[in-house]
Amino acid sequence: MVIDLTKCMRCYACVVACRQEHFVPPNVFWNRLMVWETGKFPAVTEVVVPMRCMHCKEAPCVDACPTGASQKREDGIVWVDQNKCVGCRYCVIVCPYQNRTFVSKIKEFFPGLGLTEYEKIGQRIYPHEGGVTEKCNFCMERVDAGLAQGLKPGVDRDATPVCVNCCQAKAVTFGDLDDPNSEVSTLVRKRMGTQLHPEFGTDPSIFFVTSSPRMEA
Amino acid sequence: MRLLEWKLKPHDWMIAYTRQTEWIERRGIFLWLAFVAGGLGGGLYLVSLFFNSLWGMFTGWLIIVVLKGGFHLAYLGKPLRFWRIVLRPQTSWIARGLIFVALFIGFGVIQLGFSYWLPGTAGEAIFKVLAGIIAFAVIAYTGFAMNYVKGIPFWNSALLPVLYISSGILAGFGLITAIGLYDGNVDIAAAETGSRWLLIVSALIIAIYLWSATYMGTTGKQSVIEQIRGSVAPVFWVGVVMLGIIIPIAISVSSYYAGEVSRLLLIIAIISELIGSLALKYSILKVGIYTPLLPTSAY
Repeated sequence: MVIDLTKCMRCYACVVACRQEHFVPPNVFWNRLMVWETGKFPAVTEVVVPMRCMHCKEAPCVDACPTGASQKREDGIVWVDQNKCVGCRYCVIVCPYQNRTFVSKIKEFFPGLGLTEYEKIGQRIYPHEGGVTEKCNFCMERVDAGLAQGLKPGVDRDATPVCVNCCQAKAVTFGDLDDPNSEVSTLVRKRMGTQLHPEFGTDPSIFFVTSSPRMEA
Repeated sequence: MRLLEWKLKPHDWMIAYTRQTEWIERRGIFLWLAFVAGGLGGGLYLVSLFFNSLWGMFTGWLIIVVLKGGFHLAYLGKPLRFWRIVLRPQTSWIARGLIFVALFIGFGVIQLGFSYWLPGTAGEAIFKVLAGIIAFAVIAYTGFAMNYVKGIPFWNSALLPVLYISSGILAGFGLITAIGLYDGNVDIAAAETGSRWLLIVSALIIAIYLWSATYMGTTGKQSVIEQIRGSVAPVFWVGVVMLGIIIPIAISVSSYYAGEVSRLLLIIAIISELIGSLALKYSILKVGIYTPLLPTSAY
């Protein structure tokens, strides 16, 4: 995945789409926008950085997981099998990008008023469990369903994560980083895509492109 | 006002120094206690092997089984699935830890059986060696599990396992002294001597550990600042330094020169050492600070 920070306009569509797609419980975010200001008036700039699981090639969470619940697929997607997770939170601790959340119990959006119809439907379609860890899975269900239909992730909408589909600024691009001719590989090459904290040695699968020298440093 | 508004953004934690909370707050308290129990139990078992105190070995074994095991189970989000933890020992220190604990429980109970019913046999010697090695691993693995976390530079130090080992064995000396008050097999003077030397070694390791952490980038330095000047400072100075080191050393040195020490002072030294052990692990877990994800110049 490549995120173009010069295009992101802080609309939060990706955050909302992710919540809708996975019926993410309250207080849990699979993706976020980090927003802050830099500079002094009048030369003030707003910095927006979309953040989610980096799906590292050398994922410390996968190595640290004692049960094998945190797994990495052939295509590089890192996901958590909730049926195997014991809730030891070691993966939460070892993730240097702090992109995992331990859900102690599933809460309702309106405390004391019970689950809304939407939440009940969500629990049936995309059940979440308390006592386990959650994170972004690059919409692997969509990717798998699309691949089964012969579609290409990153090209065909039905095989592409919703956060990519919903981005009206086209700031997020999805595809195969191992394919040198893919759009993501071209973007990384031509726009000098950078990974976040490469010094951790995790080799993240998310690259950021920016015109700001701050991120490239 | 504008800056304040931005500081209240929910993702502040990603661009500022943020402490880990999962392993020390809320139910994380159980994990802290489990780590302490692992050090105490393993340390007591090892020291008891040296003093050949059956009561000490049994107490150490019991601490691991009941306290460490119980606290770990209480901490887990899905405790009934705990058996799954052993499935990935090739890469996970937590999996290795559970295997060490399970082996210790097994070897320990066989050794205790030999020592009680068949003392002096080859079986007793073999299982003492096996259980002793595994007890050492039980003390050490928590240090390695934390040392593996690259995002928290303060923990990502080779000295952390060393510190945990010295702290565990030191607590073991404290507990064996307590057992020695009632068990004639334990030479309290020898336990006092061991305790005295280990206190000095532990104090040195703590000092070197903190000093070296200041060279682990700005985040490591921030952890040290939090430890010695921040909100964790009272726990560090009162718990670790005063109760964990200075008071036991003072009592130990006074006993060295006076020739003997009163029972009351010994009990005070033991309790101080135990509080020091609790405080040391608490403060290390509490100041586990992540490297900010992005530049923080806006702050």
